[in-house]
Amino acid sequence: MVNKLILSNVLHRPIRTAVSVLAVAIEVAMVILVVGLCHGLVSDSARRVEGVGADILVRPPGASFMLGLGEAPMPVAIGQRLAELPRVLAVAPAIIHVNSQESLDLIYGIDLPSFNAVSGGFVYHAGGPFQEPYDMLVDDIYANGHRVKVGTTINVLNHDFRVCGIVEHGKGARRFIQLATLQDLTGSHDKATTFFVKCTDPAYTDEVANKIKAWLEGYNILPIKEYMSLMTSNNIPGLNYFITVMIALAVGIGFLVIFLSMYTTITERTREIGILKSLGASKTYIISVILREATFLTAIGVIAGFMGAVILRKVMGGIFPTLPVEMTWDWRLYAACLALMGSILGSFYPALRAAQLDPVDALAYE
Amino acid sequence: MEPIISVKSLTKNYRLGKVDVPALRGVDLVVQEGEFVAVVGPSGCGKSTLLHILGGLTGPSDGQVCIDGNDFRLMTDADRTRFRRHKIGFVFQRFNLLPTLSARDNIAIAQHIQGNGFNPHRFEAITRMLGIEKKLHHRPFALSGGEQQRVAIARAVICEPKILLADEPTGNLDTENSQVVLDMLRELNRTFRQTVLMITHNPEAAGIANRVIHMRDGRIISD
Repeated sequence: MVNKLILSNVLHRPIRTAVSVLAVAIEVAMVILVVGLCHGLVSDSARRVEGVGADILVRPPGASFMLGLGEAPMPVAIGQRLAELPRVLAVAPAIIHVNSQESLDLIYGIDLPSFNAVSGGFVYHAGGPFQEPYDMLVDDIYANGHRVKVGTTINVLNHDFRVCGIVEHGKGARRFIQLATLQDLTGSHDKATTFFVKCTDPAYTDEVANKIKAWLEGYNILPIKEYMSLMTSNNIPGLNYFITVMIALAVGIGFLVIFLSMYTTITERTREIGILKSLGASKTYIISVILREATFLTAIGVIAGFMGAVILRKVMGGIFPTLPVEMTWDWRLYAACLALMGSILGSFYPALRAAQLDPVDALAYE
Repeated sequence: MEPIISVKSLTKNYRLGKVDVPALRGVDLVVQEGEFVAVVGPSGCGKSTLLHILGGLTGPSDGQVCIDGNDFRLMTDADRTRFRRHKIGFVFQRFNLLPTLSARDNIAIAQHIQGNGFNPHRFEAITRMLGIEKKLHHRPFALSGGEQQRVAIARAVICEPKILLADEPTGNLDTENSQVVLDMLRELNRTFRQTVLMITHNPEAAGIANRVIHMRDGRIISD
Protein backbone atom coordinates (compact mmCIF):
# COMPACT_ATOMS: atom_id res chain seq x y z
CA MET A 1 0.00 0.00 0.00
CA VAL A 2 2.86 2.39 0.83
CA ASN A 3 4.39 1.52 -2.53
CA LYS A 4 1.11 2.46 -4.23
CA LEU A 5 1.01 5.72 -2.30
CA ILE A 6 4.60 6.52 -3.29
CA LEU A 7 4.08 5.58 -6.93
CA SER A 8 0.89 7.63 -7.17
CA ASN A 9 2.63 10.63 -5.56
CA VAL A 10 5.54 10.36 -7.96
CA LEU A 11 3.23 10.15 -10.98
CA HIS A 12 0.97 12.90 -9.67
CA ARG A 13 3.82 15.45 -9.71
CA PRO A 14 5.67 14.73 -12.95
CA ILE A 15 7.74 17.95 -13.06
CA ARG A 16 8.98 17.53 -9.51
CA THR A 17 9.74 13.87 -10.24
CA ALA A 18 11.56 14.72 -13.49
CA VAL A 19 13.71 17.42 -11.84
CA SER A 20 14.64 15.16 -8.92
CA VAL A 21 15.48 12.25 -11.20
CA LEU A 22 17.49 14.53 -13.49
CA ALA A 23 19.51 15.92 -10.57
CA VAL A 24 20.38 12.46 -9.30
CA ALA A 25 21.17 11.34 -12.86
CA ILE A 26 23.53 14.31 -13.33
CA GLU A 27 25.16 13.53 -9.98
CA VAL A 28 25.70 9.86 -10.87
CA ALA A 29 26.84 10.54 -14.45
CA MET A 30 29.19 13.27 -13.24
CA VAL A 31 30.85 10.98 -10.69
CA ILE A 32 31.17 8.13 -13.20
CA LEU A 33 32.50 10.35 -15.99
CA VAL A 34 34.91 12.48 -13.95
CA VAL A 35 36.40 9.46 -12.19
CA GLY A 36 36.31 7.46 -15.43
CA LEU A 37 38.07 10.21 -17.35
CA CYS A 38 40.80 10.64 -14.71
CA HIS A 39 41.38 6.91 -14.39
CA GLY A 40 41.08 6.45 -18.14
CA LEU A 41 43.71 9.06 -18.92
CA VAL A 42 46.14 7.65 -16.36
CA SER A 43 45.70 4.01 -17.31
CA ASP A 44 45.65 4.76 -21.04
CA SER A 45 48.93 6.63 -20.69
CA ALA A 46 50.41 3.74 -18.66
CA ARG A 47 49.18 1.13 -21.15
CA ARG A 48 50.73 3.03 -24.04
CA VAL A 49 54.11 3.19 -22.26
CA GLU A 50 53.81 -0.54 -21.58
CA GLY A 51 52.93 -0.94 -25.26
CA VAL A 52 56.40 0.32 -26.27
CA GLY A 53 57.58 -3.15 -25.31
CA ALA A 54 60.46 -2.16 -23.03
CA ASP A 55 61.13 -4.03 -19.79
CA ILE A 56 62.95 -1.19 -18.02
CA LEU A 57 62.77 2.60 -18.13
CA VAL A 58 66.02 4.45 -17.41
CA ARG A 59 65.68 8.10 -16.52
CA PRO A 60 67.77 10.82 -14.90
CA PRO A 61 68.20 11.25 -11.13
CA GLY A 62 65.22 12.84 -9.43
CA ALA A 63 62.87 12.18 -12.37
CA SER A 64 59.19 11.81 -11.61
CA PHE A 65 57.65 8.45 -12.45
CA MET A 66 55.40 10.46 -14.77
CA LEU A 67 57.09 10.65 -18.13
CA GLY A 68 57.89 14.08 -19.50
CA LEU A 69 57.82 15.88 -16.16
CA GLY A 70 60.90 17.95 -15.51
CA GLU A 71 63.76 15.55 -15.89
CA ALA A 72 67.21 16.79 -17.01
CA PRO A 73 68.45 15.13 -20.20
CA MET A 74 71.01 12.32 -20.13
CA PRO A 75 73.81 11.78 -22.70
CA VAL A 76 72.73 9.48 -25.51
CA ALA A 77 76.05 7.69 -25.03
CA ILE A 78 74.62 6.06 -21.91
CA GLY A 79 72.31 4.14 -24.24
CA GLN A 80 75.22 2.62 -26.08
CA ARG A 81 76.69 1.41 -22.74
CA LEU A 82 73.29 0.06 -21.68
CA ALA A 83 73.04 -1.92 -24.90
CA GLU A 84 76.35 -3.61 -24.11
CA LEU A 85 75.10 -4.99 -20.78
CA PRO A 86 74.49 -8.74 -20.70
CA ARG A 87 70.88 -9.88 -21.30
CA VAL A 88 69.95 -6.56 -22.92
CA LEU A 89 68.41 -7.02 -26.34
CA ALA A 90 67.85 -3.41 -27.39
CA VAL A 91 67.90 0.15 -26.05
CA ALA A 92 65.91 3.05 -27.49
CA PRO A 93 66.73 6.63 -26.46
CA ALA A 94 63.86 9.11 -26.50
CA ILE A 95 63.05 12.68 -25.62
CA ILE A 96 59.57 12.95 -24.19
CA HIS A 97 58.29 16.43 -24.83
CA VAL A 98 55.21 17.88 -23.17
CA ASN A 99 53.33 19.74 -25.86
CA SER A 100 50.89 22.40 -24.77
CA GLN A 101 50.15 23.79 -28.21
CA GLU A 102 46.41 23.35 -28.96
CA SER A 103 46.19 20.45 -26.51
CA LEU A 104 48.24 18.93 -23.72
CA ASP A 105 49.96 15.74 -24.88
CA LEU A 106 53.31 14.00 -25.05
CA ILE A 107 55.38 13.91 -28.22
CA TYR A 108 58.09 11.29 -28.41
CA GLY A 109 61.33 12.13 -30.16
CA ILE A 110 62.58 8.71 -31.23
CA ASP A 111 65.39 7.07 -33.10
CA LEU A 112 63.22 4.91 -35.35
CA PRO A 113 65.56 1.88 -35.84
CA SER A 114 66.26 1.47 -32.09
CA PHE A 115 62.62 2.21 -31.17
CA ASN A 116 61.53 -0.47 -33.65
CA ALA A 117 64.05 -2.88 -32.12
CA VAL A 118 62.47 -2.39 -28.68
CA SER A 119 58.84 -2.18 -29.75
CA GLY A 120 58.81 -4.65 -32.63
CA GLY A 121 58.07 -1.88 -35.11
CA PHE A 122 55.02 0.20 -35.96
CA VAL A 123 52.05 -1.15 -37.88
CA TYR A 124 51.31 1.43 -40.58
CA HIS A 125 47.68 2.23 -41.44
CA ALA A 126 48.87 4.70 -44.07
CA GLY A 127 52.14 6.19 -45.26
CA GLY A 128 55.46 4.99 -43.92
CA PRO A 129 58.53 5.80 -41.77
CA PHE A 130 60.25 9.18 -41.45
CA GLN A 131 61.78 10.43 -44.72
CA GLU A 132 62.69 14.00 -43.79
CA PRO A 133 63.80 15.64 -40.51
CA TYR A 134 60.44 17.40 -40.15
CA ASP A 135 58.30 14.30 -40.69
CA MET A 136 55.85 13.14 -38.07
CA LEU A 137 54.13 9.85 -37.28
CA VAL A 138 50.70 9.99 -35.65
CA ASP A 139 48.62 7.13 -34.32
CA ASP A 140 45.23 6.22 -35.78
CA ILE A 141 43.24 7.64 -32.83
CA TYR A 142 44.94 11.03 -33.15
CA ALA A 143 44.48 10.92 -36.93
CA ASN A 144 40.75 10.17 -36.62
CA GLY A 145 40.21 12.70 -33.86
CA HIS A 146 42.03 15.52 -35.66
CA ARG A 147 41.11 14.48 -39.22
CA VAL A 148 44.75 14.11 -40.11
CA LYS A 149 45.93 12.33 -43.26
CA VAL A 150 49.33 11.54 -44.68
CA GLY A 151 50.69 14.84 -46.00
CA THR A 152 48.84 17.02 -43.49
CA THR A 153 50.97 19.71 -41.89
CA ILE A 154 51.03 20.03 -38.10
CA ASN A 155 52.78 22.82 -36.25
CA VAL A 156 54.84 21.77 -33.23
CA LEU A 157 57.41 23.97 -31.45
CA ASN A 158 56.72 26.66 -34.06
CA HIS A 159 57.79 24.35 -36.87
CA ASP A 160 55.65 22.70 -39.50
CA PHE A 161 55.81 18.93 -39.57
CA ARG A 162 54.47 16.78 -42.40
CA VAL A 163 52.55 13.68 -41.39
CA CYS A 164 54.42 10.88 -43.14
CA GLY A 165 52.63 7.91 -41.61
CA ILE A 166 49.62 6.85 -39.55
CA VAL A 167 50.42 4.00 -37.17
CA GLU A 168 48.48 1.64 -34.96
CA HIS A 169 47.95 3.23 -31.50
CA GLY A 170 49.38 1.88 -28.28
CA LYS A 171 53.15 2.49 -28.50
CA GLY A 172 53.96 5.35 -26.15
CA ALA A 173 52.79 8.66 -27.52
CA ARG A 174 50.19 9.58 -30.10
CA ARG A 175 52.74 11.63 -32.06
CA PHE A 176 56.38 10.85 -32.89
CA ILE A 177 59.11 12.91 -34.49
CA GLN A 178 62.75 12.12 -35.07
CA LEU A 179 65.00 12.25 -31.99
CA ALA A 180 67.60 14.40 -33.75
CA THR A 181 64.99 16.96 -34.78
CA LEU A 182 63.56 17.23 -31.25
CA GLN A 183 67.10 17.48 -29.85
CA ASP A 184 67.72 20.44 -32.20
CA LEU A 185 64.43 22.13 -31.36
CA THR A 186 64.87 21.79 -27.58
CA GLY A 187 68.61 22.47 -27.53
CA SER A 188 69.39 19.01 -26.21
CA HIS A 189 72.04 17.80 -28.66
CA ASP A 190 73.07 14.19 -28.04
CA LYS A 191 70.74 14.01 -25.08
CA ALA A 192 67.74 11.85 -24.18
CA THR A 193 65.22 12.01 -21.35
CA THR A 194 64.37 8.31 -21.28
CA PHE A 195 65.93 5.05 -22.36
CA PHE A 196 63.61 2.16 -23.14
CA VAL A 197 65.54 -1.02 -22.35
CA LYS A 198 64.40 -4.40 -23.65
CA CYS A 199 65.86 -7.57 -22.13
CA THR A 200 66.51 -10.78 -24.03
CA ASP A 201 63.83 -12.29 -21.79
CA PRO A 202 61.45 -10.43 -19.42
CA ALA A 203 62.57 -12.87 -16.70
CA TYR A 204 65.91 -11.04 -16.61
CA THR A 205 64.32 -7.67 -15.88
CA ASP A 206 65.24 -7.52 -12.20
CA GLU A 207 68.77 -8.76 -12.83
CA VAL A 208 69.37 -6.17 -15.54
CA ALA A 209 67.70 -3.43 -13.53
CA ASN A 210 69.96 -4.17 -10.56
CA LYS A 211 73.02 -4.00 -12.77
CA ILE A 212 71.95 -0.63 -14.18
CA LYS A 213 71.21 0.67 -10.68
CA ALA A 214 74.68 -0.37 -9.56
CA TRP A 215 76.26 1.36 -12.53
CA LEU A 216 74.05 4.47 -12.73
CA GLU A 217 73.74 5.24 -9.04
CA GLY A 218 70.95 7.71 -8.24
CA TYR A 219 69.31 7.32 -11.65
CA ASN A 220 65.66 6.43 -11.87
CA ILE A 221 65.56 2.79 -12.96
CA LEU A 222 62.00 1.50 -13.19
CA PRO A 223 61.02 -1.98 -14.30
CA ILE A 224 57.90 -1.55 -16.41
CA LYS A 225 55.75 -3.56 -13.95
CA GLU A 226 56.73 -1.17 -11.18
CA TYR A 227 55.98 1.78 -13.45
CA MET A 228 52.52 0.35 -14.18
CA SER A 229 51.81 -0.09 -10.48
CA LEU A 230 52.78 3.55 -9.87
CA MET A 231 50.53 4.88 -12.62
CA THR A 232 47.32 5.09 -10.64
CA SER A 233 45.29 8.14 -9.71
CA ASN A 234 46.44 7.72 -6.10
CA ASN A 235 50.01 8.49 -7.15
CA ILE A 236 49.29 11.40 -9.47
CA PRO A 237 49.80 14.58 -7.43
CA GLY A 238 46.52 16.40 -6.82
CA LEU A 239 44.40 14.06 -8.92
CA ASN A 240 42.69 12.46 -5.95
CA TYR A 241 41.92 15.90 -4.51
CA PHE A 242 40.41 16.89 -7.82
CA ILE A 243 38.32 13.71 -7.94
CA THR A 244 37.23 14.20 -4.33
CA VAL A 245 36.20 17.81 -4.96
CA MET A 246 34.24 16.84 -8.08
CA ILE A 247 32.49 14.00 -6.23
CA ALA A 248 31.66 16.32 -3.34
CA LEU A 249 30.19 18.83 -5.79
CA ALA A 250 28.11 16.14 -7.50
CA VAL A 251 26.85 14.72 -4.20
CA GLY A 252 26.14 18.27 -3.00
CA ILE A 253 23.97 18.94 -6.05
CA GLY A 254 22.05 15.69 -5.53
CA PHE A 255 21.65 16.35 -1.81
CA LEU A 256 20.37 19.89 -2.30
CA VAL A 257 17.91 19.02 -5.07
CA ILE A 258 16.47 16.05 -3.16
CA PHE A 259 16.32 18.19 -0.01
CA LEU A 260 14.46 20.98 -1.82
CA SER A 261 12.24 18.55 -3.68
CA MET A 262 11.20 16.66 -0.54
CA TYR A 263 10.92 19.88 1.46
CA THR A 264 8.51 21.43 -1.04
CA THR A 265 6.70 18.11 -1.26
CA ILE A 266 6.12 18.17 2.47
CA THR A 267 4.75 21.69 2.24
CA GLU A 268 2.52 20.76 -0.69
CA ARG A 269 1.32 17.63 1.05
CA THR A 270 0.84 19.01 4.54
CA ARG A 271 -2.85 18.23 4.42
CA GLU A 272 -2.22 14.68 3.17
CA ILE A 273 0.19 14.12 6.05
CA GLY A 274 -2.54 15.38 8.38
CA ILE A 275 -4.93 12.85 6.86
CA LEU A 276 -2.46 10.02 7.42
CA LYS A 277 -2.01 11.17 11.01
CA SER A 278 -5.76 11.29 11.56
CA LEU A 279 -5.86 7.67 10.42
CA GLY A 280 -3.30 6.84 13.11
CA ALA A 281 -0.11 6.81 11.06
CA SER A 282 2.88 6.92 13.41
CA LYS A 283 5.92 9.18 13.02
CA THR A 284 7.90 6.17 11.82
CA TYR A 285 5.27 5.47 9.17
CA ILE A 286 5.41 9.07 7.87
CA ILE A 287 9.23 9.11 7.87
CA SER A 288 9.26 5.77 6.09
CA VAL A 289 6.90 7.04 3.34
CA ILE A 290 9.07 10.12 2.69
CA LEU A 291 12.39 8.25 2.78
CA ARG A 292 11.07 5.50 0.55
CA GLU A 293 9.81 8.03 -1.95
CA ALA A 294 13.24 9.74 -2.00
CA THR A 295 14.92 6.34 -2.38
CA PHE A 296 12.59 5.45 -5.26
CA LEU A 297 13.37 8.75 -7.04
CA THR A 298 17.07 8.17 -6.44
CA ALA A 299 16.90 4.63 -7.83
CA ILE A 300 15.34 5.92 -11.06
CA GLY A 301 17.94 8.72 -11.12
CA VAL A 302 20.77 6.22 -10.67
CA ILE A 303 19.53 4.13 -13.61
CA ALA A 304 19.11 7.29 -15.70
CA GLY A 305 22.61 8.39 -14.61
CA PHE A 306 24.12 5.06 -15.70
CA MET A 307 22.43 5.36 -19.08
CA GLY A 308 23.42 9.04 -19.37
CA ALA A 309 27.06 8.21 -18.57
CA VAL A 310 27.14 5.52 -21.26
CA ILE A 311 25.62 7.88 -23.83
CA LEU A 312 27.93 10.77 -22.87
CA ARG A 313 30.94 8.47 -23.01
CA LYS A 314 30.02 7.54 -26.58
CA VAL A 315 29.47 11.19 -27.50
CA MET A 316 32.78 12.19 -25.91
CA GLY A 317 34.53 9.31 -27.66
CA GLY A 318 33.21 10.67 -30.96
CA ILE A 319 34.22 14.27 -30.33
CA PHE A 320 37.43 13.69 -28.33
CA PRO A 321 38.75 10.26 -29.27
CA THR A 322 41.99 10.82 -27.36
CA LEU A 323 40.11 11.18 -24.06
CA PRO A 324 39.41 7.67 -22.81
CA VAL A 325 36.71 7.22 -20.14
CA GLU A 326 37.19 4.12 -18.03
CA MET A 327 33.85 3.04 -16.56
CA THR A 328 34.18 0.38 -13.89
CA TRP A 329 31.43 -1.42 -11.96
CA ASP A 330 33.18 -0.43 -8.74
CA TRP A 331 32.70 3.24 -9.44
CA ARG A 332 29.16 2.74 -10.70
CA LEU A 333 28.42 1.13 -7.35
CA TYR A 334 30.16 3.96 -5.47
CA ALA A 335 28.23 6.55 -7.49
CA ALA A 336 24.93 4.78 -6.75
CA CYS A 337 25.76 4.52 -3.03
CA LEU A 338 26.81 8.18 -2.89
CA ALA A 339 23.58 9.26 -4.60
CA LEU A 340 21.54 7.10 -2.24
CA MET A 341 23.38 8.42 0.80
CA GLY A 342 22.95 12.02 -0.39
CA SER A 343 19.25 11.62 -1.01
CA ILE A 344 18.58 9.86 2.29
CA LEU A 345 20.41 12.66 4.10
CA GLY A 346 18.62 15.25 1.95
CA SER A 347 15.19 13.81 2.66
CA PHE A 348 15.72 13.04 6.33
CA TYR A 349 15.06 16.53 7.66
CA PRO A 350 11.90 17.01 5.54
CA ALA A 351 10.73 13.56 6.67
CA LEU A 352 11.35 14.45 10.29
CA ARG A 353 9.54 17.73 9.84
CA ALA A 354 6.57 15.94 8.28
CA ALA A 355 6.46 13.45 11.14
CA GLN A 356 6.40 16.28 13.67
CA LEU A 357 3.56 18.22 12.04
CA ASP A 358 0.65 18.90 14.33
CA PRO A 359 -2.26 16.89 12.87
CA VAL A 360 -4.84 19.60 13.60
CA ASP A 361 -2.75 22.28 11.88
CA ALA A 362 -1.94 19.92 9.02
CA LEU A 363 -5.62 19.12 8.43
CA ALA A 364 -6.47 22.83 8.42
CA TYR A 365 -3.67 23.60 5.91
CA GLU A 366 -4.91 25.25 2.71
CA MET B 1 -21.97 -0.15 32.07
CA GLU B 2 -18.85 2.00 31.72
CA PRO B 3 -19.39 4.87 29.25
CA ILE B 4 -17.33 4.85 26.08
CA ILE B 5 -16.64 8.58 26.42
CA SER B 6 -16.17 10.18 29.79
CA VAL B 7 -15.04 13.81 29.98
CA LYS B 8 -14.74 15.81 33.22
CA SER B 9 -13.83 19.49 33.62
CA LEU B 10 -12.11 19.52 30.22
CA THR B 11 -10.34 22.75 29.32
CA LYS B 12 -8.28 23.63 26.29
CA ASN B 13 -6.36 26.85 25.79
CA TYR B 14 -4.65 27.91 22.59
CA ARG B 15 -1.77 30.30 22.74
CA LEU B 16 -1.92 33.17 20.26
CA GLY B 17 1.27 35.20 20.64
CA LYS B 18 1.44 35.95 24.36
CA VAL B 19 -2.27 35.52 24.98
CA ASP B 20 -4.02 32.32 26.08
CA VAL B 21 -7.32 31.87 24.26
CA PRO B 22 -9.69 29.45 25.95
CA ALA B 23 -11.47 27.11 23.52
CA LEU B 24 -13.02 24.80 26.10
CA ARG B 25 -13.86 26.04 29.60
CA GLY B 26 -14.79 23.01 31.64
CA VAL B 27 -16.72 20.48 29.59
CA ASP B 28 -18.38 17.46 31.22
CA LEU B 29 -19.71 14.78 28.91
CA VAL B 30 -20.64 11.12 29.10
CA VAL B 31 -21.53 9.05 26.03
CA GLN B 32 -22.61 5.42 26.14
CA GLU B 33 -21.61 2.88 23.52
CA GLY B 34 -23.99 2.82 20.53
CA GLU B 35 -25.25 6.39 21.01
CA PHE B 36 -25.62 8.84 18.13
CA VAL B 37 -24.77 12.26 19.54
CA ALA B 38 -24.94 15.54 17.68
CA VAL B 39 -23.03 18.55 18.99
CA VAL B 40 -24.38 21.86 17.77
CA GLY B 41 -23.37 25.43 18.40
CA PRO B 42 -22.13 28.59 16.71
CA SER B 43 -18.71 28.91 15.11
CA GLY B 44 -15.92 29.22 17.67
CA CYS B 45 -17.89 27.59 20.47
CA GLY B 46 -15.31 24.79 20.81
CA LYS B 47 -17.10 21.95 18.98
CA SER B 48 -14.16 21.10 16.71
CA THR B 49 -11.68 21.39 19.56
CA LEU B 50 -13.76 18.93 21.57
CA LEU B 51 -13.82 16.56 18.61
CA HIS B 52 -10.05 16.84 18.08
CA ILE B 53 -9.39 16.10 21.74
CA LEU B 54 -11.75 13.12 21.78
CA GLY B 55 -10.00 11.81 18.65
CA GLY B 56 -6.57 12.20 20.21
CA LEU B 57 -5.42 14.70 17.56
CA THR B 58 -4.52 17.17 20.26
CA GLY B 59 -4.18 16.98 24.02
CA PRO B 60 -6.30 18.73 26.65
CA SER B 61 -4.92 21.59 28.75
CA ASP B 62 -6.63 20.25 31.84
CA GLY B 63 -9.37 17.91 32.92
CA GLN B 64 -10.02 14.23 32.47
CA VAL B 65 -10.72 12.48 29.16
CA CYS B 66 -11.33 8.78 29.25
CA ILE B 67 -12.23 6.94 26.03
CA ASP B 68 -13.02 3.24 26.11
CA GLY B 69 -11.05 2.95 29.34
CA ASN B 70 -8.03 4.94 28.07
CA ASP B 71 -7.15 7.89 30.27
CA PHE B 72 -5.58 10.57 28.08
CA ARG B 73 -3.69 12.05 31.05
CA LEU B 74 -1.55 8.93 31.14
CA MET B 75 -0.95 8.75 27.39
CA THR B 76 1.93 10.10 25.36
CA ASP B 77 1.56 11.49 21.85
CA ALA B 78 2.60 8.12 20.41
CA ASP B 79 0.05 6.34 22.65
CA ARG B 80 -2.70 8.65 21.40
CA THR B 81 -1.66 7.94 17.79
CA ARG B 82 -1.89 4.19 18.46
CA PHE B 83 -5.23 4.71 20.19
CA ARG B 84 -6.57 6.72 17.24
CA ARG B 85 -5.44 4.02 14.82
CA HIS B 86 -7.50 1.35 16.56
CA LYS B 87 -10.41 3.14 18.20
CA ILE B 88 -11.32 6.25 16.22
CA GLY B 89 -12.71 6.92 12.77
CA PHE B 90 -12.86 10.48 11.43
CA VAL B 91 -15.20 12.00 8.84
CA PHE B 92 -14.37 15.58 7.87
CA GLN B 93 -16.34 18.36 6.25
CA ARG B 94 -13.84 18.56 3.37
CA PHE B 95 -13.76 14.75 2.93
CA ASN B 96 -9.94 14.70 3.26
CA LEU B 97 -9.32 11.88 0.83
CA LEU B 98 -5.81 11.34 -0.48
CA PRO B 99 -6.05 12.84 -3.97
CA THR B 100 -3.53 10.55 -5.64
CA LEU B 101 -5.17 7.29 -4.54
CA SER B 102 -8.29 5.59 -5.88
CA ALA B 103 -11.38 5.28 -3.68
CA ARG B 104 -10.47 1.63 -2.99
CA ASP B 105 -6.94 2.56 -1.89
CA ASN B 106 -8.22 5.47 0.20
CA ILE B 107 -10.28 2.97 2.16
CA ALA B 108 -7.63 0.22 2.19
CA ILE B 109 -4.89 2.52 3.49
CA ALA B 110 -6.74 2.83 6.79
CA GLN B 111 -6.54 -0.96 7.18
CA HIS B 112 -2.88 -0.88 6.18
CA ILE B 113 -2.06 1.77 8.79
CA GLN B 114 -3.98 -0.19 11.40
CA GLY B 115 -1.78 -3.15 10.54
CA ASN B 116 -4.40 -5.89 10.61
CA GLY B 117 -4.27 -6.46 6.86
CA PHE B 118 -6.98 -6.18 4.24
CA ASN B 119 -10.31 -7.68 5.26
CA PRO B 120 -12.24 -8.30 2.01
CA HIS B 121 -15.52 -9.28 3.74
CA ARG B 122 -15.65 -6.13 5.84
CA PHE B 123 -14.58 -4.07 2.83
CA GLU B 124 -17.32 -5.51 0.64
CA ALA B 125 -20.01 -5.14 3.30
CA ILE B 126 -19.14 -1.50 3.97
CA THR B 127 -18.77 -0.44 0.34
CA ARG B 128 -22.05 -2.17 -0.59
CA MET B 129 -23.89 -0.55 2.30
CA LEU B 130 -22.55 2.88 1.30
CA GLY B 131 -23.35 2.24 -2.39
CA ILE B 132 -19.85 2.98 -3.68
CA GLU B 133 -18.85 -0.47 -4.95
CA LYS B 134 -18.94 0.77 -8.57
CA LYS B 135 -16.85 3.84 -7.84
CA LEU B 136 -13.89 2.16 -6.18
CA HIS B 137 -11.50 2.63 -9.09
CA HIS B 138 -12.17 6.34 -9.35
CA ARG B 139 -9.88 8.90 -7.83
CA PRO B 140 -11.44 11.61 -5.63
CA PHE B 141 -11.50 14.27 -8.36
CA ALA B 142 -13.73 11.97 -10.44
CA LEU B 143 -16.29 11.57 -7.65
CA SER B 144 -19.13 13.88 -6.62
CA GLY B 145 -19.07 15.46 -3.17
CA GLY B 146 -21.58 12.92 -1.87
CA GLU B 147 -19.58 10.03 -3.25
CA GLN B 148 -16.38 11.41 -1.77
CA GLN B 149 -18.02 11.70 1.63
CA ARG B 150 -19.29 8.14 1.40
CA VAL B 151 -15.75 6.95 0.60
CA ALA B 152 -14.55 8.95 3.61
CA ILE B 153 -17.19 7.27 5.80
CA ALA B 154 -16.13 3.86 4.48
CA ARG B 155 -12.51 4.69 5.33
CA ALA B 156 -13.52 5.83 8.78
CA VAL B 157 -15.44 2.68 9.67
CA ILE B 158 -13.48 0.01 7.78
CA CYS B 159 -11.32 -0.75 10.83
CA GLU B 160 -14.37 -1.09 13.10
CA PRO B 161 -13.54 1.90 15.32
CA LYS B 162 -15.18 2.22 18.70
CA ILE B 163 -16.19 5.81 17.93
CA LEU B 164 -16.95 7.61 14.69
CA LEU B 165 -16.23 11.33 14.95
CA ALA B 166 -17.85 13.38 12.19
CA ASP B 167 -16.92 17.05 11.80
CA GLU B 168 -19.65 18.81 9.80
CA PRO B 169 -20.02 15.82 7.46
CA THR B 170 -22.71 17.56 5.41
CA GLY B 171 -21.12 21.00 5.41
CA ASN B 172 -19.92 20.74 1.83
CA LEU B 173 -22.89 18.87 0.39
CA ASP B 174 -26.18 19.81 -1.22
CA THR B 175 -29.44 18.82 0.41
CA GLU B 176 -29.85 15.55 -1.45
CA ASN B 177 -26.33 14.34 -0.78
CA SER B 178 -26.51 15.59 2.81
CA GLN B 179 -29.56 13.40 3.37
CA VAL B 180 -27.80 10.39 1.84
CA VAL B 181 -24.77 10.86 4.10
CA LEU B 182 -26.90 11.36 7.20
CA ASP B 183 -28.88 8.24 6.33
CA MET B 184 -25.59 6.32 6.03
CA LEU B 185 -24.45 7.49 9.45
CA ARG B 186 -27.80 6.57 10.91
CA GLU B 187 -27.65 3.18 9.21
CA LEU B 188 -24.16 2.52 10.58
CA ASN B 189 -25.34 3.44 14.05
CA ARG B 190 -28.33 1.13 13.80
CA THR B 191 -26.75 -1.82 11.99
CA PHE B 192 -23.38 -1.99 13.73
CA ARG B 193 -24.24 -0.12 16.97
CA GLN B 194 -21.58 2.31 15.90
CA THR B 195 -21.08 5.12 18.40
CA VAL B 196 -21.26 8.38 16.45
CA LEU B 197 -20.43 11.87 17.64
CA MET B 198 -21.30 14.43 14.99
CA ILE B 199 -20.63 18.14 14.94
CA THR B 200 -23.00 20.22 12.87
CA HIS B 201 -24.44 23.65 12.33
CA ASN B 202 -27.43 22.19 10.65
CA PRO B 203 -30.46 21.62 12.94
CA GLU B 204 -31.94 19.15 10.44
CA ALA B 205 -28.77 17.11 10.50
CA ALA B 206 -28.73 17.20 14.28
CA GLY B 207 -32.31 15.95 14.21
CA ILE B 208 -31.32 12.45 13.13
CA ALA B 209 -29.20 11.96 16.27
CA ASN B 210 -30.80 10.43 19.34
CA ARG B 211 -29.12 13.00 21.55
CA VAL B 212 -28.30 16.66 20.83
CA ILE B 213 -25.77 18.66 22.85
CA HIS B 214 -25.60 22.45 22.55
CA MET B 215 -22.37 24.31 23.11
CA ARG B 216 -21.55 27.96 23.51
CA ASP B 217 -18.38 29.76 24.52
CA GLY B 218 -16.50 26.56 25.26
CA ARG B 219 -19.18 25.08 27.49
CA ILE B 220 -22.08 22.65 27.11
CA ILE B 221 -25.22 24.65 27.71
CA SER B 222 -27.81 21.94 27.16
CA ASP B 223 -27.84 18.18 26.75
